Amino acid sequence: MSWQTFILHFFTYGILLYSIILLICYVLIGAFSISETRSYLHKNSFTDYRMLASSTETPSMSILAPAYNEGANIIENVRSLLSLHYNNLEVIIINDGSKDDSLEKLIRAYDLYKVDFFVNQQIKTKPVRGVYKSYNPVYRKLIVVDKVNGGKADALNVGVNIAKNDYFVCIDVDCVLEQDSLLKLAKPFLESTNQRVIAAGGVVRIANSCEIEGGRLVKVNLPKQFLPRIQTLEYIRAFLLSRMAWTKLNGLLLISGAFGAFDREIVINCGGYNTNTVGEDMELVVRMRRYMEERDEPYKVAFIPDPLCWTEAPSTFKILGRQRNRWTRGTIETLRFHKVMLFNPRYGILGMLSYPYWLFFEFMAPIIEFFGTIGMIIYCFTYAVNWSAIMIIVGVLCMGILYSIFAIMMEVLTYNQYRGRKDILRLVGVAILEPFVFHPFVVWSAIRGNIDLLRKHNSWGEMTRTGLATEKKAS
Amino acid sequence: MVSKAYLLSVFSIWHIQNIVLAGIILLILGLLVYMLSYMYFKSVYDKKFDKWSLISDLLIRKAVFYDDEEESEGDSAIPVTARAEKLMDNKHFRKLLINEIMSAKRSITGISADNLKHLYVQLGLDKYALGNLSSGRWYIRAKAIQELTIMSMHEFVDQLCLYADDKNDLVRMEAQSALIQFNGFDGLHFLDTVTYPISNWQQIKLLQQLSHLPPANIDMTQWFKSDNSSVIIFTLKLARIYQRFDLYYDIVSCLDHPDPLVRYEAIHCLNEIYTDETSDDFISRFLGEILKNQLAMIKVMETVGTEKDVLFLLDLLNHENDEIKIGAARALVQSNKDGMVSLEKYSKESNDSINEIVMHIKGEVAA
Repeated sequence: MSWQTFILHFFTYGILLYSIILLICYVLIGAFSISETRSYLHKNSFTDYRMLASSTETPSMSILAPAYNEGANIIENVRSLLSLHYNNLEVIIINDGSKDDSLEKLIRAYDLYKVDFFVNQQIKTKPVRGVYKSYNPVYRKLIVVDKVNGGKADALNVGVNIAKNDYFVCIDVDCVLEQDSLLKLAKPFLESTNQRVIAAGGVVRIANSCEIEGGRLVKVNLPKQFLPRIQTLEYIRAFLLSRMAWTKLNGLLLISGAFGAFDREIVINCGGYNTNTVGEDMELVVRMRRYMEERDEPYKVAFIPDPLCWTEAPSTFKILGRQRNRWTRGTIETLRFHKVMLFNPRYGILGMLSYPYWLFFEFMAPIIEFFGTIGMIIYCFTYAVNWSAIMIIVGVLCMGILYSIFAIMMEVLTYNQYRGRKDILRLVGVAILEPFVFHPFVVWSAIRGNIDLLRKHNSWGEMTRTGLATEKKAS
Repeated sequence: MVSKAYLLSVFSIWHIQNIVLAGIILLILGLLVYMLSYMYFKSVYDKKFDKWSLISDLLIRKAVFYDDEEESEGDSAIPVTARAEKLMDNKHFRKLLINEIMSAKRSITGISADNLKHLYVQLGLDKYALGNLSSGRWYIRAKAIQELTIMSMHEFVDQLCLYADDKNDLVRMEAQSALIQFNGFDGLHFLDTVTYPISNWQQIKLLQQLSHLPPANIDMTQWFKSDNSSVIIFTLKLARIYQRFDLYYDIVSCLDHPDPLVRYEAIHCLNEIYTDETSDDFISRFLGEILKNQLAMIKVMETVGTEKDVLFLLDLLNHENDEIKIGAARALVQSNKDGMVSLEKYSKESNDSINEIVMHIKGEVAA
């Protein structure tokens, strides 16, 4: 066998083997997801959340919402947070050195005054310029913090320092939450008896084209634009399949930064959010898990499949590219910070399964796919490609489509947010188009993320949002 | 020349690939057909359910307004239409009817509620529920217990009692709730024997149920000695909510329990049930406690602290942990009328961080 043939075979069969293992993982994810979702739905049918809403024994929670230049919608967004159904709640808005008039607007709208507040710097942060509370007792739950700009992670750390409750929920201030979202998110912390629940996440859905009134979601619609619609499918796949499956294995590494609840004591013991990464949400969960593993304390990261939080998805390739670039950098940074866990039995599922999966199939998949595509193009030009290779590619593409359709089926059988048959068929159409239109762009953005990281380019990447205001009805 | 064996091997690989690809495409089509059929049949069933819903509504309405003496002569059966009786063999209709009866039963009391129970038994739905108690699936067992509880089927309480320490948490929860529903505070005697932990969720549920009953002075002392920490925690909550001052020394004894969660709940409980000695009980145990419980003790000292604790609290203002300092400053101000004066005097002789804390506390007091 010549060396060229050897390289050719190594390349072809290597990618084939990788694809087969990845497909097996997808089959297992599907199976675990079904089991976990069924179990959750059965349990949920016995749950009366109104009981929790009226009880004085509910755990206290603090909502942390960092805001940077959110002046356009901040008043309605804060009002929406203040109206959530939960007894023991404080809402902390952290103005992260906004250059617009967010703070002034908040002061005027909520009748705020500056208080003498000793900020216990349990986690080191950029300086706090002032803490504001309202003269109006109606807004007694509200605390507004004004601080020097330091990024999302730093703003959240300030919130963690100021929060006085046992649990905190971090959210993106422009997200729309379901009214009972906190009650549902509190449940995993109350249910567990033999493991400490250190964090809990809920499903984030795409709000583009949905009808929103007074900061509340009143009607769910499938996004009209192509990119948000394709991301709708992507989110269903990620949240209903992947995260549910990892929850079953107690191996979940990521709780979305847009909406997640955390045990404040553990977060402080771990040192809070890492300000040196753009993937602070994933990094925190991994560090908390590592902390618990190293102390041999039984713990759990919970996830619930109910749609609790609605967010605006990027609707242009430019913004989407920045987002995916950042996600890639965040993943690599997190994996690099915690590389000691790779195949380390001391970390149990975390080291033997979750970490390797993220390394080989979340971080490396776009790279392998990118070079595989380039290789295939070269083969085509050199006539080295044969039918067999083309069939393998077609097979892998079909498996991708199958996985997406399976996710749509899970959605239909469970929460069925998009009720019309036309909407479901549109999603199926998107599932067929995705591997050809959307996926190559996501792979390319991930490659750019890798390159940017090598160049030490670590900016957040401006996430200009068109705003959900277009979908909002006058309140 | 290409050998025959090579051709065969290529063919077989080609063949396998085709089969796999065809299999994947068939699976895609299969899922699509299944999903669309599901949606179609669901819409058909939804329409059917709307009709059934009308039938069950009518049945429930008849039962609710049924007047035994007026409408029957000898026979006390609630009139059921032939259509409804025929539909009783259909398990989907039965499920719908049971859900609607339960929903109605939850919201009404008195004779109407008794009539609903009457209808439930008359239709033999209790027999189905009893049968479901022995199902292999936990959610069917739990649902059966819930159903019998809501329908006030007191006669089955002994059977439900057997599930109060079931290995499945949902079955256990429903059975424990059933015991409270049927026996009130006496139902709490499952705490004598329960071996599995009672989750905080279940504790909230039980407390909620008990809050609808008139308070009863039941004997709780043996629960403080339980090997099950969650039983002690729940008992401490009961003692706090029902202001059981007679249990003071049992509560204080929990401050020495090996489980920090029990100690935490005991500290919390002493915020409501305390004597002049309570702060001394805290101070003597303070150094041996974990941080969370130390903070809880300081918090409770806002209520139970007295003049004799001033020195202890002032001493804590030197603590290395700022949370302890803030808590101590707050307790000093809240528990003593001269607390603010002592704090200001102390701050004049101390560092900047204490001054900031004093300003913080002053701000809180002013608000």
